[in-house]
Amino acid sequence: MEQVLWFGWFRADIISEYGVLFWRGLQMTIAVTLLCIVQGTALGLSIGMARVAEARHAPARQICYYALRWPSTIYVSFFRGTPLFVQILLIHFAVLPLFINPTDGLLISGEAARDLKQNYGAFLSGIVALTLNAGAYISEIFRAGIQSIDKGQIEASRSLGMSFPRTMYHVVLPQAFRRMLPPLGNNAISLLKDSSLISAIGLAELAYAARTVAGAYSRYWEPYLTISLMYWVLTLGLAYLVKKLEARYGRGDSR
Amino acid sequence: MNLKRLASLAVTTLVLCASGLSSAQSQELVVGSSATYRPFAYESPSKEIVGYDVDMIKAIAQKAGLKIKIVNTPWTGIFAALNNGDLDLVISGVTINDKRKQSYDFTTPYFEARQLIAVHSNSTAKSLKDLAGKKIGVVNGSTGDDMASREFGKTNPDIRRFESTPVVISELANNGLDAAIGDNGVIAFRAQEHKQLKTVSDPSFPKEYFGIVVKQGNKALLDKLNAGLAAVKADGSYAQIYKKWFQAEAPALPAQ
Repeated sequence: MEQVLWFGWFRADIISEYGVLFWRGLQMTIAVTLLCIVQGTALGLSIGMARVAEARHAPARQICYYALRWPSTIYVSFFRGTPLFVQILLIHFAVLPLFINPTDGLLISGEAARDLKQNYGAFLSGIVALTLNAGAYISEIFRAGIQSIDKGQIEASRSLGMSFPRTMYHVVLPQAFRRMLPPLGNNAISLLKDSSLISAIGLAELAYAARTVAGAYSRYWEPYLTISLMYWVLTLGLAYLVKKLEARYGRGDSR
Repeated sequence: MNLKRLASLAVTTLVLCASGLSSAQSQELVVGSSATYRPFAYESPSKEIVGYDVDMIKAIAQKAGLKIKIVNTPWTGIFAALNNGDLDLVISGVTINDKRKQSYDFTTPYFEARQLIAVHSNSTAKSLKDLAGKKIGVVNGSTGDDMASREFGKTNPDIRRFESTPVVISELANNGLDAAIGDNGVIAFRAQEHKQLKTVSDPSFPKEYFGIVVKQGNKALLDKLNAGLAAVKADGSYAQIYKKWFQAEAPALPAQ
C-alpha cells in the first residue's frame, strides 16, 4: 500500500488500512459503555440503598444490618480497593471459567459454553468486571445523595407510616437524584475511558485497534493519537448529554 | 604559586576527562528483553531474568568484551524503547523479517524458529488453512500475527490479539479460542503444560531466524555483536546453550 503522509509525518494510510478495526472498535466501546452505565446504575442504586437500609424492630433490624449493610460494605470496599485491571483479569481468567466451562461449568457447560466463550467471552467478562466496578462507585454516589437529604424528611415520612422503601421512592430519591447527576456524569465518563482496559483480554474495542496497528507497524503516534481524539469526542458528547439532563432535572431546584 | 595551582588544575581536568572517556567506553549497554517468553526469557522465582536469549547475549557480550545490563521490557513498547535510546539492543525472540529490517538492524541469526499451532487435543486441524473460520489467538505484532493476518485478513475479527504467549495459551486452554499460533519454542513449552492441548506443525510455514536488534545505523555495536556471535557459534557454546534449553541438537545457523 502506498504511504500517505499528513503534515509530513502522520502516516494516515496505516490508519485507513485498519479502518474497519477502528470503526468496529468504536461501536464496541460505545456498546460496552452504555451497557455498563445502565447496569452499573441499577446495581449502584440497589447497593447504595442496601448500605443505608434500616428498620426499627427485630428481626428486620438484624436483617438490614447483617444481610444488607455488611455485604454491601464489603463489596464496595473490595471493588474500590483493587485495580480495575486486576478485576478484569481475575474475572476473565479465573471467575468466568468457573461458571462457563465446556467440561464442568457451574452455570453453563458443554458445547453452548464453548460457543459462548469463543464468541462473547471477552465481552462478557469485560461487561461483568466494568459493571461490578462501576456499581461500587455509583453506590457511593447514591449513598451520598441519599444521606444529603435532611434526616428530618425521612423521619417525617416514617412517622406518617411510610415504610423504608416507600420513603425512599417517594421522598428521598427524587430529590437525591438531582444532586447525584453531576457525579454520575463524571462516573459515566470514567467508565468510557476505563473500557479501554478490556483490550487486555482481547476484546476488539478502540484501544485494541490502536494496539494492533502499533504492533504491526511499530508506530505509536498515529494509532494512539487517533483513538485519543475519538475518546475525546465521545467524552465531550457524554458531558454534553449530562449537562442537558442537569438543565432539565435541575429545574425544580431553581425556584 | 599561582602557576603551580593552575598546572595542578590542568592536570586534574585532564585526569577527569580521561576517566570520563574510559568510563564512556566501558559503559553498560542496556539490553531489552520481554520476560514473558519462556524458555527464551522469563523471570525466575528469584526475580532474575533467565532463558536461552539471556544465556546467548551473556556469552556474546563476554566474547565481544561488552558490559551489559538486561532490563525486562514489555513487548508492546520494546521497539519504541530502542528508538528512544532507552535500550541499546533488544534480544527477545525477534524474528528477522523484511518489514522489520526497514526500521532496525539485525545481527546474524542466533536461533532457528518456525511457527507452531496449538489446538485442543480433539481438533482435526492439520495446517493453517484448516483454521479458517476458527478463533485464532496470537501475540499482537508477532510473526504468528503476520501469518494469520496474511491468510485470513488483518481486520478479521476471528484473529484475537493478546499481549503475551501465556495469556494466549490460557485463553486457548479456557476454550476462548480454537487455536493459537506462535514461535515453536514457546508454544511447545506452554502447550505441554496443559494436557488438553496439542501442537500441530504446518510444513508450509517457512523457516525463520531470530536476530538481535539494534537501532538502525548503529554499525559499531552491530559489528561487535556479530563478531561475538560468530565466536559463540565457533567455540561450541551455542550448541551447549541450545541443548540446555531445548534438550535437542542445535541446528546449524546461516552466517548471512
